[in-house]
Amino acid sequence: MSTTIAEQEVALVDLVDRLLGGGVVIAGDITLSVADVDLVHISLRALISSVGKLEEGVLE
Amino acid sequence: MSDDLLWAYGVVAAGAPLPDDIEPVADGELVVLTARVPRDEYAVEPLREHLNDLAWLERVARRHEAVLEQALAQATVVPLRLCTIFDDADGVRRMLEREREPLTRALARLDGRQEWGVKLLVDGDRLAATAAPAGDQAQGEGGAAYLARRRNERQAREGARALAMQIVDDVDGSLRAHAVDAVRLPAQNRELSGHTGDMVLNAAYLVDADGAGALHEAAAELQGRHADAGARIELTGPWPPYNFVTGETTTQPA
Repeated sequence: MSTTIAEQEVALVDLVDRLLGGGVVIAGDITLSVADVDLVHISLRALISSVGKLEEGVLE
Repeated sequence: MSDDLLWAYGVVAAGAPLPDDIEPVADGELVVLTARVPRDEYAVEPLREHLNDLAWLERVARRHEAVLEQALAQATVVPLRLCTIFDDADGVRRMLEREREPLTRALARLDGRQEWGVKLLVDGDRLAATAAPAGDQAQGEGGAAYLARRRNERQAREGARALAMQIVDDVDGSLRAHAVDAVRLPAQNRELSGHTGDMVLNAAYLVDADGAGALHEAAAELQGRHADAGARIELTGPWPPYNFVTGETTTQPA
């Protein structure tokens, strides 16, 4: 049941959730805005759904 | 202007062992783990464009995680959000000066503690069957029988939802007893995570390092207790404590 990070490659979605939703937000000289983070989630979704479509296409 | 920018991974206490290929920027008792990145790739405009490039994002995210995990294996670390970038070491030191107090407080609070991720998944069909065992179904074709069936279906749905909430409360409540802090996160999008079943709980728990074993045992016991609903508990960690440092700082970016 248990998996440790060292033993198994972390799912990208787990990583993105934590790296873009967590962590200390400090004002660097460059930081991502909320809009930038939304952009990442949108592009993640777009990628996954296009991969899904591709796979369906191959199966047909 | 230098050709490089400084990517900041996280903050550790002075004297902590450093991960590979890291340039430490120290000020007083705090050290920021940084690495040089090319300006033409990481300045504001190219950075925004790269965010659309999933391969780029994945590479950068895995590098961020790998460095923090290496730091975490040897010391307490305050993880910084992805894409915290500075023009130069002076910029990093100015940040440290500004954020010294909250960062110091975070390091003290996280010392000797671990973040574990917990996802609880249930099987919708088994949940419904457990909540409302198949009994006398209204038979027949008349309007009354139809309405009775509709009513039964609605009650079954409500029963399944109520049972799911009970299971979530039991699991979350039992695991919180082993934790010093806990947060509930939004359930993951199935398209992204590819999980099967219904993700009814996605949470993170901050536990004392010597209590991690007890958390694992409790999770296994809870999974068994709710086996009728097809409960699966997925435990991941220890993570850099991403979910227990938000709201820690005084300044927020625009």
